[in-house]
Amino acid sequence: MVSVINTVDTSHEDMIHDAQMDYYGTRLATCSSDRSVKIFDVKNGGQILVADLRGHEGPVWQVAWAHPMYGNLLASCSYDRKVIIWKEENGTWDKMYEYTGHDSSVNSVCWGPYDFGLILACGSSDGAISVLTCSGDGHWDIKKINNAHTIGCNAVSWAPAVVPGSLIEQPSGQKPNYIKRFVSGGCDNLVKLWKEEDGQWKEDQKLEAHSDWVRDVGWAPSIGLPTSTIASCSQDGRVFIWTCDDPSGNAWTAKLLHKFNDVVWHVSWSITGNILAVSGGDNKVTLWKESVDGQWACISDVNKGQGAASSITDNQQNEQ
Amino acid sequence: MAARWSSENVVVEFRDAQATAMSVDCLGQYAVLSGRRFLYVVNLETPSEAPRKISRQSKWDVGTVQWNPHRTEAHLFAASSNQRVDLYAWRNGFGEPHASLQGHTRVISDLDWSWFDPELLVTSSVDTYIYIWDTRDARKPTAALSAVAGASQVKWNKRNHYCLASSHDGDVRIWDKRKPNTAVEYVAAHLSKIHGLDWHPDNEYILATSSQDNSVRPFSNGLVTVMVPQLRRENSLLLWSTLELNSPVHAFVGHDDVVLEFQWRPQKEGSKDCQLVTWSRDQSLRIWRVDPQLQKLCCANDIVDELMEGMNLTGDTEKTLRAQDAEPPLSPGLTENSRDQFEGPGSGLTSGGRNDVSGLPQTLQQEFSLVNLQIRNVNVEMDAVNGSCFVSADCGANRVRLVVKFPAQYPNNAAPSFRFVPPTNISSSMKTKIQKILTDTSLQKVKRNQNCLEPCVRQLVSCLESDMEDGSNPYGLTNPVTPALPTFPRVTNTYGSYQDANIPFPRTSGARFCGTGSLVYFTRPMTMHRTVPTTEPTPRSLSALSAYHSGVLTPMKMRTESQSTLRLYSGSPTRTDKDQVSISSFYYKERKSRRWKGKREGSDYSNRPIKLAGKVIIQEISCLLPVHKALGETYVLNVNDIQDTCKKNGAAALAVGRRDLAKVWALASAATNLDLNPDPDPDAGTPWAKHPFGRQLLETLLEHYSQMSDVQSLAMLCSVFRGHTSPQEYTLYGHQQARPVIFTAHHSRYPSVTSCSLTSGSFSSTSDTAATPWNMVSCARETEHAPPWGESSPDDYRYANQIYTDPREREKEQHDMNKRLLDPSNAFQFDDFKKCYGEILHRWGLKEKRAEVLKFVSCPPEPHKGIEFGVYCCHCRSQARGTQCAVCKRFTFQCAICHVAVRGSSNFCLSCGHGGHTSHMMDWFRSQDVCPTGCGCHCLLQSTF
Repeated sequence: MVSVINTVDTSHEDMIHDAQMDYYGTRLATCSSDRSVKIFDVKNGGQILVADLRGHEGPVWQVAWAHPMYGNLLASCSYDRKVIIWKEENGTWDKMYEYTGHDSSVNSVCWGPYDFGLILACGSSDGAISVLTCSGDGHWDIKKINNAHTIGCNAVSWAPAVVPGSLIEQPSGQKPNYIKRFVSGGCDNLVKLWKEEDGQWKEDQKLEAHSDWVRDVGWAPSIGLPTSTIASCSQDGRVFIWTCDDPSGNAWTAKLLHKFNDVVWHVSWSITGNILAVSGGDNKVTLWKESVDGQWACISDVNKGQGAASSITDNQQNEQ
Repeated sequence: MAARWSSENVVVEFRDAQATAMSVDCLGQYAVLSGRRFLYVVNLETPSEAPRKISRQSKWDVGTVQWNPHRTEAHLFAASSNQRVDLYAWRNGFGEPHASLQGHTRVISDLDWSWFDPELLVTSSVDTYIYIWDTRDARKPTAALSAVAGASQVKWNKRNHYCLASSHDGDVRIWDKRKPNTAVEYVAAHLSKIHGLDWHPDNEYILATSSQDNSVRPFSNGLVTVMVPQLRRENSLLLWSTLELNSPVHAFVGHDDVVLEFQWRPQKEGSKDCQLVTWSRDQSLRIWRVDPQLQKLCCANDIVDELMEGMNLTGDTEKTLRAQDAEPPLSPGLTENSRDQFEGPGSGLTSGGRNDVSGLPQTLQQEFSLVNLQIRNVNVEMDAVNGSCFVSADCGANRVRLVVKFPAQYPNNAAPSFRFVPPTNISSSMKTKIQKILTDTSLQKVKRNQNCLEPCVRQLVSCLESDMEDGSNPYGLTNPVTPALPTFPRVTNTYGSYQDANIPFPRTSGARFCGTGSLVYFTRPMTMHRTVPTTEPTPRSLSALSAYHSGVLTPMKMRTESQSTLRLYSGSPTRTDKDQVSISSFYYKERKSRRWKGKREGSDYSNRPIKLAGKVIIQEISCLLPVHKALGETYVLNVNDIQDTCKKNGAAALAVGRRDLAKVWALASAATNLDLNPDPDPDAGTPWAKHPFGRQLLETLLEHYSQMSDVQSLAMLCSVFRGHTSPQEYTLYGHQQARPVIFTAHHSRYPSVTSCSLTSGSFSSTSDTAATPWNMVSCARETEHAPPWGESSPDDYRYANQIYTDPREREKEQHDMNKRLLDPSNAFQFDDFKKCYGEILHRWGLKEKRAEVLKFVSCPPEPHKGIEFGVYCCHCRSQARGTQCAVCKRFTFQCAICHVAVRGSSNFCLSCGHGGHTSHMMDWFRSQDVCPTGCGCHCLLQSTF
């Protein structure tokens, strides 16, 4: 049964722009126009404010938890052009690193798969994407892709470290030599795929289908199947599912999931990559699942504006 | 506080004028007042005479009126009316319209004549375009600057032919008219809408702005940023000096209502007096004399004469800086409307006055009683009743006496003001610097509602002390106007001016899958309604927000109120009662209008706090996922008894209601039956794996669960069958080398070039080519086309040097492959299933289960690399890796015993860091137990763990 297990009153003084739980699902980070980032302990249905992080000088757009292998790290990005990486040490949260290399609002942050080390991609309205890599001794190495999207970059999302289509020969018994890849979406209505080659980030693919700003992109987690999947959503109300079966990763095909009546702001994949959560300007959340014959169907409609979460799963539908 | 004395010498009332705008011509002879039905031209020499009228037929008020500032064209003036600009010529006491400029599609917000070219006029409009017109060709504008957002003000630079500035909400954009597509510079100037904008007359790089946030900011080299206290609801004009930015020099008191417009009147040569012409909503025109005494007050240094000279000669030293005050939140119908003026390099004017400090907040008294001011050379006298304190600091020869005034709202985002009083003896540049530091410090603190007295005083002292150490001549800089930099500083700390057209409109709702089985979502609260009907899409960028507001407000205002209020168009009601503009204004607005409605109905909506942040809801959605935590907990993997494992797992699946899985486990149990164990002899018959119910069945199952994304079942089946395949020679990674025979696997994804040269043997394809559709299609195809030896698994690549001479050996190996129920060519994929499932188990906190599954991964975890110790170079103390320092190129460490650089094996004490050649250390510690350097460290004891 789909059930609400917790309702967290964040007490933010202004509108919330992102909420995300950590790896284990025990802590919740939220960020808001009130310039703060808050962390709550949400174990067992409770809510304990762990930290109220102040450091941004503008609305905070997005937060991202790093893999716990690297400690308790949270990245946040803001209108103030800054990316702040927060770290918990001995129970207290502090600023670990502040990145100020962008000239405009930073709209998206995303940690790479843990196999790549501590690596963060940031997309900004100045059109650039920055990739920050922690070298281990507190020093951060910065690679900036300038003019990644003309006018501005709105979203970034890493590809899983499992790259089934790879043609690269990998001797067994050694750690596979994964290629670092991520996808980005921007104000040029494009979805772009980026690939690291010889330490340099190169544009790998340009996916065109949207007719307005791309607001979010999400690379689906892999469970080991050879198909790569990306979801993208846009101001034009469309959500596309991009798939690639080609081992060289060049042939991407788009499939329209749905055309919404208002902007679609966010897409999120479930851990097994078979359910997509879509949310947008209509203040609603819908869940989509691919049926066995490859058709996407809405399995749930969570209408938050009404305060009630009505969820229809397959089973419930039968009962009704 | 400013000295107040009335110095007006002319007051004329024009009761029926209802004029909304006024302008004084460049000769100082006429003033034009623009009413709805007539334009009145007042002769300033004889102001009490009845003014001449020019009738106009329009239902719109005049937005802005301006005389041409060029003496040759002094008879011309332009008046904007809705979307049109009318040009009038005034000759011999009669005026007539002679041209109309039409092009804007929305109301014109401002216009300005060029200072260089008498024919050029610039207009700004809500329609987001700024047009430059050549009045000789009125048909269309000669240039259009595209601003994306509507502009409220536009002004030509007075020194640069090409440069102009426009204001958009809280931002200022600087344009080069040759580059119409994009602004040259963006300045985030104010938190709220800018009402007034003006360039410095002599300096190309200085401009001043005034805003609804009650501050006036001159932007020059970034040195001066001043908050002006509350200006609302005062009917006086304030005269400011740019040298003394925290308090006005003079207040012109007399008008009974808001000052709508003011302008310096150019003087005839020889006149020492300066005159200011003001028009107020009390329908009176006043001419104020600014006598030399007052002028001197504005210009502390001896530049008065220069200034006066400049004014007399050029006649265009005056510049207008407009400020329209905000609508007070409680009286939405009433609009205060006032203008600011900025005079010369020495002084400026602001309309309005400051609110009296009323009612002292408890916090100030508390701060005074708690503050720790035991600072050297500083004495602070605090007067909590008057909300002020007197700071005296003596630092060497420098003496500073500072009066700090705390506003009533302090410390809730209201900074105190700082004023130097005699006998302060520091230079004016130093004063400016300290002023800025203090203002910045206090602003920083009060922004967080923190007290700021102590930090400010400490900043003052450290600033004075550092100045002494610098030894710089404090009297060296006498020029009050610091040299301007050629760029406009960005005020990076100022936000809230959401003009940026390329920043996406923020998400106010979102959903995210988190952990393994949770969906976290948030939406905007129910109380927040959109201002737009739901049929209209949400705007895409932040800048659209302000443009949208203007769109809603303009038509309504135009009908009901005087057009001059149109300059307020983008100020949404929320902005006046919130010091920060927020995205919530977009939604909040409707709530607000409901509040007004509610008031009429007698309910007090307004008293209820409005919640801007909704709740974050965490939903359990694991039932939608193909993986089950309960199964993760109960599944077992016992390689020694696969049969039992399958039975137990089947029971577990049944317990969670997965009947399909229960059957699968039953099948698995059957397939792994010991009776079906393959015979080691290749001649004993086809192994079970080659049976339709063998490998084929298993692959069909895997395909099915792949489609379901059921990584849990996939990983478990792969683990069980991998474990089953060769129970007797079951190997985990690491034991493989011990295997006598190496199988050849098809792994088309990893074609090996070297393997081609391996053998020439006629070796039949090992193809278990039941390449199944769920597997990579390309993989299967390649298998068919490629020569048998053209592909090999990474494993045999490793043993590629082995040449099989014995065909029986080969046959045996082939048989070995065929025995396997899991296609070895997909081993990597199976590993991915297990790793992915392992990750999910990790998130569930089932670390042991995870380890059990990961045991079956063919690719081992990365071996532990051990700990590397960093070394600091003994010569230059920089951090080094290895024996040679990258910085000084010398060897990084020396042996404590022989004092020779160590390059080979070394040992060090982890406690004191001393050490050296291993052999030396061993010799030493054979007989000693303290450090050979004599540091006293008991290295042998300290280094044991």
